[in-house]
Amino acid sequence: MRSVRVWFKKTGTAIYISHLDMNRCLSRAVVRAKLPLWYTEGFNPKPYLNFLCPLPLGQEGLNEPLDIRIEGEMTNEEVRSSLCAVMPQGIEITAVTDPIMKTAQITSAQYSINLLFGSEGTASAFSHTADEIIKSGELVAEKRSKRGTKTVNLCEMITAFEIEAEGSLAKIQTVTATGSASNLNPDLVVTALIEKTGLEPVSRSISRTRLFIEKGEAFC
Amino acid sequence: MFPRQLENVLLKVQKPGRYTGGELNSVLKDKSKVDIRFAFCFPDTYEIGMSHLGMKILYSLINEREDAWCERVFAPASDMEEQMRALNVPLYGLESGDAVKDFDFIAFTMMYELCYTNILNMLSLAGVPLRSSERKNLSPLVIGGGACACNIEPMADFFDFVTLGDGEEVTNEVIDLYKIHKAKGSTKQEFLEEAAKIPGVYVPSLYDIQYNFDGTVKAIVPKNGAPEKVVKRTVRNLDTMFAPSTFVVPFIEVVHDRTTVETFRGCIRGCRFCQACFLYRPIREKSPEIVEKQCRAIYESTGYDEISLCSLSTSDYTGLEKLLNSMLDWTIPEKINVALPSLRADNFPEELMKKLASVRRSGLTFAPEAGTQRLRDVINKNITEQEVLSTASLAFKGGWTAVKLYFMMGLPTETDEDIEGIAKLAQAVVDEYYNNPDKPKGRGVNVSVSVATLVPKPFTPFQWEPMITPDETKEKQAKLLSFVHSKKISVSMHNSQTSFLEGVFARGDRRLSQVIETAWRHGCKFDSWDDSLKFDTWMQCFEECGIDPYFYTARKREFEEVLPWDHMDYGVTKQFFIRENKRAHEGVTTPCCREKCAGCGAAAINGGECSEIRKSVV
Repeated sequence: MRSVRVWFKKTGTAIYISHLDMNRCLSRAVVRAKLPLWYTEGFNPKPYLNFLCPLPLGQEGLNEPLDIRIEGEMTNEEVRSSLCAVMPQGIEITAVTDPIMKTAQITSAQYSINLLFGSEGTASAFSHTADEIIKSGELVAEKRSKRGTKTVNLCEMITAFEIEAEGSLAKIQTVTATGSASNLNPDLVVTALIEKTGLEPVSRSISRTRLFIEKGEAFC
Repeated sequence: MFPRQLENVLLKVQKPGRYTGGELNSVLKDKSKVDIRFAFCFPDTYEIGMSHLGMKILYSLINEREDAWCERVFAPASDMEEQMRALNVPLYGLESGDAVKDFDFIAFTMMYELCYTNILNMLSLAGVPLRSSERKNLSPLVIGGGACACNIEPMADFFDFVTLGDGEEVTNEVIDLYKIHKAKGSTKQEFLEEAAKIPGVYVPSLYDIQYNFDGTVKAIVPKNGAPEKVVKRTVRNLDTMFAPSTFVVPFIEVVHDRTTVETFRGCIRGCRFCQACFLYRPIREKSPEIVEKQCRAIYESTGYDEISLCSLSTSDYTGLEKLLNSMLDWTIPEKINVALPSLRADNFPEELMKKLASVRRSGLTFAPEAGTQRLRDVINKNITEQEVLSTASLAFKGGWTAVKLYFMMGLPTETDEDIEGIAKLAQAVVDEYYNNPDKPKGRGVNVSVSVATLVPKPFTPFQWEPMITPDETKEKQAKLLSFVHSKKISVSMHNSQTSFLEGVFARGDRRLSQVIETAWRHGCKFDSWDDSLKFDTWMQCFEECGIDPYFYTARKREFEEVLPWDHMDYGVTKQFFIRENKRAHEGVTTPCCREKCAGCGAAAINGGECSEIRKSVV
């Protein structure tokens, strides 16, 4: 038995698939791909799947890792091509590698966010104010976790933040804490900024582009 | 796909995966290259509808045609409906995102009477006039099918036509005919009159109903060349019949999310309350080789880890052992669970049972339906207490600790003793567990008893019987609970109000169309969901329309009475039903078809063929 790391993109209508549903969806995909799967032992044998860093509902992911376990001889390239043939619309396999790093090493992730405003004026006003707020180092918001709701300074969990207006769009590139130790959903940052500025976008889209370990090194 | 305007609301509603489309194996076509747009509508939520085999069959069947594109449509939940109405987004097909009002067909499948208000709600969301007479153009045609088509009278004003019986052949015939009429620019009336000539097609507007002073039906008069009797369709050979080779795989969890393949249609048992048994006769079996091939194809294209072999009574399938012996060879190594719903456990080989449980152990269910042998004889449920107990004993030995028992109340001739019998039988199963030396160590037993209320249905020997009132139901339910003394027994019972409404519509006539529309206008929908049923509103609507609902449920009908569904012919004869009704009241059972043909008459509409008759001749 060995683990392989499957990298995939989740875009389009697939962003509406919840984490739980992703699990079911990919469990079936690995069966359709006829991979020599290793099954969990117990009353209800299932293929082993581990989504290292589940995406929140409604967010796109461009470089998402999933570990699966297989038995027998099959190269990473064979796993990739078998999987590619059976994926539903919106979930695309980009690579299959050996798992090098451990889940626990993930510390942050890069997000690319687009906010569409009603006018160019609002987009640029929002960008300007948002930039100042983040630079001030203080953006306080209520954050829910398993242990209850806490008031936290979101800026402490943001390691990079760039915003610029482009027409009616405000485009954000940001790196926020991600992983088991500390995690900040960028949607929370956006919601806090909207509240602070009082400028409501018509729509928002969030895309996770990369995962990092310490010192900004790419997770692999 | 979904309309662009919904992009911003999808994250505000529960389970957006219901509304996005884009699932694996869903069929996308170039709309400029198809002539016929077909909306297959299921009048309940996505999770229920996506579990429905009939929809999967007809979806694949229509999409096999190059000239037609079939899309799926489900009833949006209230939160989504609110958003759609606020944004003026009409009901759309999940494949294209296009409004169904522009489709050629808006087709509903009707498995249950309590979905009727949902049908009206979906038509309204689509922006289509509710009544057939208000829709003047040839398209969209609002059509229906499914079990409720056998008495569609309460919905007669809304449907342009319905099809009776198996849909595999008639659906294509209807589409072919429509295509001709669309091309030559026929009127809706011209098309409907021609469609009525296709066997199995019922056009309600081509029949005048006359009533007696006492409110019963006096006569049903066909006009403009419509047939006096509409004969249901039966597919003669199930081996060559169309069957899907793949299923759409939902992203979200649905009720039954698995490979399902039919093994046969019809039922040999003849339980007198059961509508499905008589609606789907005569018995037609599929060869085990074909069943296995179809299972394999769907498994490989979906990745489902469960296969359900479906029929009305799976252990009566003559090919079952052969099928399982061959199939388990690949399902066990591939960790696929094989489920046999509707299994009568009485004569099922122990060896096979063990093999079936080797991947994942599924539940164990018995349906004695009545608490005493006397009453089981009345309803012709030929299963004895000893059979239930000995099978349960075997199962306990095999490690099972949970058993489900299904019963009914409100059966003809029922007394308190029969109600007490339900509790006694459940207790006997509990005792069987504790008296079993081989029971699983250190674990308790759980017997869940589920009790439904008898809703007498058309095309059953009980179609003339009165149904108990909601008050009587509650009384009997309370009585049953007082007889249960063990914590190992859990009892669940059907909502008496839901059953009552089901009873009204099951044997209703055309005058109820007005009540259903009124109820919908007063906000009734999702009536089968306990938390959204507005029973008081329903009762007010009956009153507002001057209709007594008890006229349809509480009355014992005479054999001579003209029934609202008398112009439907499902093969089984009225004489047979009368004979069976009389035998019920005498407490005499009728042997199952395999032992002795009871002469129900269903073979006549299948060219004289019935698997069981053929067997008894050989």
